[in-house]
Amino acid sequence: MSKPQGRKKKEIRKKEGEVSRRSVLKMGAAAGAATVLSPIILTSKKSSVFGQTGVAEPVLCAPTPVPQSPPHTPFVDDLPVPFPAVPQFLSPAPTKNANIAGGEAARDPHQRWEEFNPSVTYQLEARAGTHQFHRDYLPTYIWGFNGKYPGPTILNAYGVPSLVRFKNSLPLTTSSFGTNKTTIHLHNGHTASESDGFAGDFFDTGLFKDNHYANAYAGIDDFGGFPKGDPREAQHTMWYHDHLMAETANNNYLGMNGAYFLYDQTSPPWEFNTPGSVRLPAFYGLTDFPLILAQKRFCATDTANGRTEAFQVIGAAAPSTDKFTVNGKIQPKLSVRRRKYRFRIINTGVVLPFTLSLHGPDGAQKPMTVVSSDGNLLHEPADCSATSGFPLLEVHVASRMDVVIDFSQFSVGQSVYLKENTQTPQFVSTPTPPDPAPGVPIGTVVMRFDVVGNAIIPDTPPIPDTLVELPPIPAASNPPFEWGFRFIPGRPNAFRVSHSAIPENNQNHVDTDLPFDPFRADHAVLKGSTEEWIIRNDTLAGNWLHPVHIHLEEGRVIERAVCTVPSATGCLPANRTVQAMPPWEDGNNARRDVYPVAGQQSLKIRLAFRDFVGRYLIHCHNMNHEDAFMMVRWDVVETAAELRRRREEINADRIARGEAPLYRKEDLG
Amino acid sequence: MKRRNFFTSLGSDKPSGALRAPVQGVPHVASPGPAIFTNALLRTHENKEVRFYDDLIRGKQVLINLMYATCEGTCPIVTSNLVKVYETLKNRMGKDLFMYSMTVKPEDDDPTALKDYAEMHGALLPGWTFLTGDPYDLETIRYRLFRMDHILIDTDIYSHTSFLLIINDATNRWLHVDPQASLSTVLKKISWADPPKTREQIMEENRKLQEQIDKERKKYGYRMNA
Repeated sequence: MSKPQGRKKKEIRKKEGEVSRRSVLKMGAAAGAATVLSPIILTSKKSSVFGQTGVAEPVLCAPTPVPQSPPHTPFVDDLPVPFPAVPQFLSPAPTKNANIAGGEAARDPHQRWEEFNPSVTYQLEARAGTHQFHRDYLPTYIWGFNGKYPGPTILNAYGVPSLVRFKNSLPLTTSSFGTNKTTIHLHNGHTASESDGFAGDFFDTGLFKDNHYANAYAGIDDFGGFPKGDPREAQHTMWYHDHLMAETANNNYLGMNGAYFLYDQTSPPWEFNTPGSVRLPAFYGLTDFPLILAQKRFCATDTANGRTEAFQVIGAAAPSTDKFTVNGKIQPKLSVRRRKYRFRIINTGVVLPFTLSLHGPDGAQKPMTVVSSDGNLLHEPADCSATSGFPLLEVHVASRMDVVIDFSQFSVGQSVYLKENTQTPQFVSTPTPPDPAPGVPIGTVVMRFDVVGNAIIPDTPPIPDTLVELPPIPAASNPPFEWGFRFIPGRPNAFRVSHSAIPENNQNHVDTDLPFDPFRADHAVLKGSTEEWIIRNDTLAGNWLHPVHIHLEEGRVIERAVCTVPSATGCLPANRTVQAMPPWEDGNNARRDVYPVAGQQSLKIRLAFRDFVGRYLIHCHNMNHEDAFMMVRWDVVETAAELRRRREEINADRIARGEAPLYRKEDLG
Repeated sequence: MKRRNFFTSLGSDKPSGALRAPVQGVPHVASPGPAIFTNALLRTHENKEVRFYDDLIRGKQVLINLMYATCEGTCPIVTSNLVKVYETLKNRMGKDLFMYSMTVKPEDDDPTALKDYAEMHGALLPGWTFLTGDPYDLETIRYRLFRMDHILIDTDIYSHTSFLLIINDATNRWLHVDPQASLSTVLKKISWADPPKTREQIMEENRKLQEQIDKERKKYGYRMNA
């Protein structure tokens, strides 16, 4: 690419309103933090007429043969930083009960509304737009929040209850890809069911839905104080995304997601020495970046239409991809200075894990310090390096890994590479450009860091050996319930709950087993109780790995095991061999909400169910797997009497289908 | 177009997908046609020759699933569920909504075998066509429409019974659902391929949903099945 053209494209990009790191710098370090606390009135410039956005739908390229994405020049675009969402007053004002007349989607009244009356409100409008994924590409049709990909980052703080009005302004007519209904899940907020983006709670174009985020720690009922809840349950890195029943993969691939950071005393939006702060790099867009990873494939550039469309797969398949994007750019570069930076890596999929490592200009692996897994600070930070025993950082779909990279180990002018180790390398161009560093093929590089100078903002102190104290691991109050993936002819998507103490429960019920249904709960738990769950993948090793996500609560992994004698009906306890866990998974050091289980593996976890009731989900977060209904609804109920009634109903349903009951007498409460 | 005109142009609330001209003023991309569907010559359970795209798909709203006559696992469950779907949408079937069940074992399933299967399952109904044909053609269609990009599933014909494709060729909408899900879920997914609703329809449906939720709250304390 010639230089003048590059400049021209850059101008186009600026016009589209993206923020480069440099302009964030100009805005000043405190801007991000200030917006957290000061709502300002905004008039919406781009309110779209019902169902019409003015962005023409893409002309899709032929699905067979699968096209190769157009070539791109590596490391020419700066890493974009999604603009922080700006608080705004909402009209009509949010209400506890759904404002049906005002156009709000039907829902339950907000739980704990008076207790956590929102003091900050946002509006994010899902609509069609265009986004340029690379300087060498023309704009691509996307669906995004406020028409942007990635969506605006919501920066908020514990103790500041907030409400996000998600407005559905997706096109009224859509062709093959994407479905113009939505329901938005804040992954993994401690959120009441009606605001949790339950897969069946979708709403149509033209409606809006208020998601109420209490921004309180889990354990509200047991812990007073301010902010309410158990501060050891803090979650800092989250993301919001479409969770539409059976269409999540398409809608997310189109761009319906964004980051959501929560700050508190431990992890504030500044680096100064304030009480309780662990003093990690923290200035949003300066020393603290979301790295929103995604896998994409593009059609050949259509100059007549002025577009480079994303390759879209119709039906149930997930697209096989040949480009990685970071914050919506292919192989971007980021100028860094010789100090520590925090990168919050979020894998938005749609189906494959990223397995990352960091490499210096000589190709040698350099350490990344993992400080947080799935958005939760670790008890003790752990290195991902060649010598730590954990050389690769697996970031499964929907998982978040926060790493601190210390660039002071490099000299000015050097470049550092973030390498992807397991996915098929990206197609860059023909002929393939030379390796940027020995042993680091260009196609494997996700992004490049350029060390451009010494630190201007003083470096943070060394990362402490202990970051936070974790709450005690919940007690197991029952023989575990088991959630198993099976591969049954005709039912490749089977994911079912069973009771470890009822052997008949563990058989295949190919004839009677039912797939996910938003209208049917397969398990009910009591608010305030704790349970032990086992997540099993009974398929053979080498099959798909399923990153299981559980809504509402963070869990603690007690044990990871592999089944040495695989069987389609589960694994006998004697055949389970315990495996070592990385420090960012071990329940003694970490809290998780995504639990990856490969074939023949099982994970034992403990959970507490606190503060809210209603319908929640457990599902595989490979998005085309959850769309194939590898998902189960479970409910949290308020009282023991209610629990008994619900569990009896579930037992009766199962018996009517010819299955063994799920609950024993003593489980009925 | 003025907003008012836009709404009135959407016409009546009767479902009519295939028969109505595309909604004015809202562009959508044309169906890829035979480029994806193929236009293979297939044979129905009535022993009639049909072109897959031209005769069965073009401009129509269709439901497609895979089966074979001797299947004893999930096929009968799926077929019986589809019979329920058919019963519910009876007055649209054969008019603007069509059902196709394609065999994955064309060597075994001739039109007579398919007709017997349909009869046995109470699926010998107007608007519901069972299809067989050249194995190569059917394999191509299966790969193009039902592919999951999963080597074990894609190479195993028995693993394809858990998908019901929902296609509205007039608006080029593609959806899929597990036909073993509850009737209400399957029906909801089918309705997502219907022609777009007016704002008034959307508001009215939303209001009714809230009424249902409020009713359930009295019984369970929270939204349950609405």
